[in-house]
This record gives sequence, structure tokens and C-alpha cells, in this order.
Amino acid sequence: MYAIETDNLRKVYRVKTRDSGLKAAVRALVRPEYQNVEAVTGITFSVEPGERLAFIGPNGAGKSTTIKMLTGILHPTSGSMSVLGLDPMRERRKLSYRIGTVFGQKSQLWFHLPPSDSFELLGAIYDIDKQTLKKRVDDLAERFELGDLMKIPVRKMSLGQRMRCEVAASLLHEPDVLFLDEPTIGLDVLVKQQIRERVLEMNREKGVTVFLTSHDAGDIEKLCKRTIVIDHGKIVLDQPVKELKHRYFKRKIVAVRFAADTFVSTDMCLPEGVEIEKRTPEAARIGVDTAKIPIDEVMRWLVGQGVVTDITVEDPPMEQVIASIFSEGANATCEGVNT
Amino acid sequence: MDRSAAANTRFRLAKYMGILRVSLQTALTYRANIATGLIFYCVYLFVFFNLWRAIYAGGGVEGLTFQQMIWYLCITELVASGASVKMDIDDQVKTGEIAYQLIRPYSYIGFQLSSFIGEMLFRLAAFSVLAMLIGFLMVGPIEGFKVWTLPLSFISVLLGIGISFCSRMAIGLAAFKIEETRGIFLVYQKLVFMLGIFIPIEFLPHWLQLIAKNLPFSYVAWAPARLMVGFSWELFAQIISAQLFWFAVTLGIVILQYCSGVKSIQSQGG
Repeated sequence: MYAIETDNLRKVYRVKTRDSGLKAAVRALVRPEYQNVEAVTGITFSVEPGERLAFIGPNGAGKSTTIKMLTGILHPTSGSMSVLGLDPMRERRKLSYRIGTVFGQKSQLWFHLPPSDSFELLGAIYDIDKQTLKKRVDDLAERFELGDLMKIPVRKMSLGQRMRCEVAASLLHEPDVLFLDEPTIGLDVLVKQQIRERVLEMNREKGVTVFLTSHDAGDIEKLCKRTIVIDHGKIVLDQPVKELKHRYFKRKIVAVRFAADTFVSTDMCLPEGVEIEKRTPEAARIGVDTAKIPIDEVMRWLVGQGVVTDITVEDPPMEQVIASIFSEGANATCEGVNT
Repeated sequence: MDRSAAANTRFRLAKYMGILRVSLQTALTYRANIATGLIFYCVYLFVFFNLWRAIYAGGGVEGLTFQQMIWYLCITELVASGASVKMDIDDQVKTGEIAYQLIRPYSYIGFQLSSFIGEMLFRLAAFSVLAMLIGFLMVGPIEGFKVWTLPLSFISVLLGIGISFCSRMAIGLAAFKIEETRGIFLVYQKLVFMLGIFIPIEFLPHWLQLIAKNLPFSYVAWAPARLMVGFSWELFAQIISAQLFWFAVTLGIVILQYCSGVKSIQSQGG
């Protein structure tokens, strides 16, 4: 059984529209006009239990709408879905015991209360008995380093502190599927990393299925094994993160350092497929299109330029990968769908 | 089997008790807020005390003695404070906060009710002490008041608050369908105020009285206060049955609205 399965899932919003201006405002008052906006236009995918999936796409692509349908908040216009074998629409209550959610932009903690009270209340809400609850709260507090925060009202916390509590709260009832909707938005590197590590830990130890949406390449790269890219409500790509990187990492970044004064040619003739991104008298960052020139040829060429003291070959950051997927558009990549 | 079923109910009740406790706790967190509420209550009563004294000085007012009038004032204000717990359903719908509420294993209406009761209990406790104090200080006990009628009248207080809760919940839930509910809420608030809190509806012209008695608004504040200051079994039967009727109607509207609203919910923010 799949953890998540959707078949041709669609969601159409009815949106009131009107032209700008007072006249149009009056007209809209009398006879409102509606427009159908297709937020999700028939997506089909499945997620194995224990998988870590990144569900990515630009703003307005339909990511949050999909999450809201999968959690039973929104009713799809057509198509079918099942989460943990349950129908989110009809069995929302039953499902809610088994899924956890974090919406980065919203809070699930009680604003005026310290987390210890929120956790206690969540324990009651999710029918967790006192002993088990205490064990889990202690465990989560340790993992997320909440010790000092447990008694501070949420409203007095920094965003990073709050988000650690949020993620911990979403794990309190040991969900089988964890939906993370931009969980690291606005956080600093350290907190991001901490959250990723803890989620990864829960995935490995307890087999939690992770369904993540994020604009943060690091989240995707560090946390997920598979990516679904969605744009205009359609799946444009469904691939392992590794493969995605490989595919869009035809471009490599080579950083090279030469012994003093051996790298002098300022207007050297570059081989095809090689461009210099940045250079100093003794070092350079070089972009390589591996489709045009194999990396070993580049190396050989570099060795000929001077005495190499250090050299590293890197993949470009995920941001660039995502940007290039979108700039290529849906057509170039649709062979990746349904594989 | 039996045991797990029993455990199940216990857990379920624990859920709502927990919510209730937390809302009580939240109410207690804001001392300044409580203090302003209590001060405002005193100022309000003082102003109206003087107003009614002036009116009664110019000759008796039909139906209620001055003493009864002041106690009436204290009680309507008490009910109004108890019922005016902030409920931000429309905000929750508008901001999409409701999403978190819907994916938790509890009934949304039950959740709202529990947190409402939590805060209301606190308000009722605080304000009733103050109401008694002020009432006794200003005019003393009502002549011929029978203490045994107090719990009976209190049923009416609770029903009044219940009607208020359902009406406001219904207005809040209308946010599922219409964008702005504040206007409707304002109208509702003014109607409750004019048809009960401001003056007893007996003081209204006869035709208006008739209309008021056939609308739910006066059963929030007027009914319990009227019963409290001048209890009779006839009035009790009349008021309680009308209150039960309006409570059932408003509750029905809430449930209907919730069921149809959740289906059509267009949670905001892509």
C-alpha cells in the first residue's frame, strides 16, 4: 500500500473578478463575475511509505493546494486520492491522528501559552495517555533542544525557536506521514539544518513518510530522495533528487588554485564549453558544460595552464538547478513524468 | 471492548476539558485586559445608574421599580460580558488559520464551544461578584427577592449565553460564503443592545415589544435579567421555552452552515 496515492487530482477555484475602478466595483456589487482558476490540473503520483518527497514548484504552482487536499482541508474538484489507505475527505478525523503538518506561515501552537502547555493540550487532543506523552515530550524536547523554551510563551519566541517547537509539536502523536509546507521559510542556516536533521532522524528511526514543499534548495537536497516538480498545476518532473541533479548538473563548477605566479595567461584561449566565472591571479572558478567537453579534458587543459595546487569539482547549487528546470519549461522535461 | 470504549469516551472528554482549561488559562494571562473590562463595567453601570435615577425621579416607570431597574442593568451587563468572549471564526476562515483546526481530531464546533465556555466561566465568575457588589452598594437587595429563584433564573442566563454563542458562531461561519461578516455582526450586536441591554423591552412601544419578543435578540440579555428581577413561574415557562426554541434554531443554523461550509471551504492562500 502506498502512503500517498493520487489519481488525476484536480482542484478548480471559483474566483470573483472585477476590473479596476469605481464603476467596475459597483458593477461587481450588483452582478459579480466569476472566473474559474484551475489550481491543480489533474496530477497523478504515489509515494511509498518511508519515502522523503520534495514537492516543488514556483509560487502559485498548486503545491499548497495539493497539501490541503491530501490533508482533507480542501475538497478536490475531481479525481481521487488516498493517504495511508484513507480517504482524506470522508475520513478526515481518522486520518488526522496519523498525519502531522507544519505550515511554515502559520502556527499550530497556542500563541499565549508556553510550549509545555501546548504539548499537553495536543496530547489530550490526540488521545495520548499521560505517560506516553511525557516520554515523547521529553524525547522531542531533547532532540529539538527545547529545554529552556518549554516555559516561555510562544508569542515571546524568535521565529527559529518557534519553528523548532512547531515541528516538534507536529511529531508529538507520531504521525506516519509528515506534511511540511515551507517549514524553513525565513530561518537562519543553523535552525534550518537542525530541523532537517531532526526530520531525517525521525524518518530513519520511525519510518515517517515526509512530504515537503519548499523553495529552499538545501531542504530538498539534504532532506529528500525524490522530487516532483509541479508548475501551473501539472507535474513537469518526477525524479530522484540524485538523478535530477545529475541531469541538470551537466554543468559542473571547477575551482582551481595554482602555485604563485604560474597562472598568468589572462587572455588564454578557452576550450568550447568552458567559461570562467571568477578569477584572481592564482585561482579561478570555472563553469563546465560536460555535454560539450568531458571533465577530464578540462582537467588536462587546466594542468597545462600552470602548477595546480588544489582543485575541486562541484555541482551547482540547487537554486540554479530549479531555475533551469523552470526556464526550460514543461516541454523539455515531460519525459520525466510517470516514470 | 467495554473498557476501551469507556477509555475512548474519557479521552474524548479530556480533549474538550483540556481546551476549556487552556482558554481559561489564556483569559487569566492578561491581567490588564481583565482590569480594564472590570473598570469599564463599573463606569458603565455608574453612568446608567445616574441616568435611571434621573428618569425615576421624574415619576415612576411602569412595570419595574427603581431597584429592579438597577439590578436589571447589572444583570444584562453581566450576561453581555459573559457572552462577549472574543470569537474569531471569520478571521480564522479569512487567514486560513482554520486549516490547522480542521486537521485535528476534534470537532471544530466543539473546539470553539469549549474555548468559549472556558473564558466565559472566568468572566461570569469575575463579573457576577462585581455585579452583586455594585447592586448591593447602589440600591440594596430587591424587595421580596427569593433566593431559591436564583438557580432557576441562572438557567436562563446560560441559555441566553448559549443563544449568543450560536448566533455569533453562525455569523462567523458565514465567512465561508461571504467575505466580510463584521457588518452583520455589528447589526446583531446593536439589536441585542437595543432590545434588552439598553432598556428592558417592556419600555418599548407595544408593537415593537411584540416584534422583539418574536425575535431571538432579546432572549440573550433581556430574558435572564427580567426573570432574575421579577421571577414568576408564568414568566419562567414563557421565557425558558422561547429561549430553548431560539437556542435550537440557532444551533441548527450553525450545524447546517458548518456542514455545507466545510465542503465549500476555499482555504485562502495558494
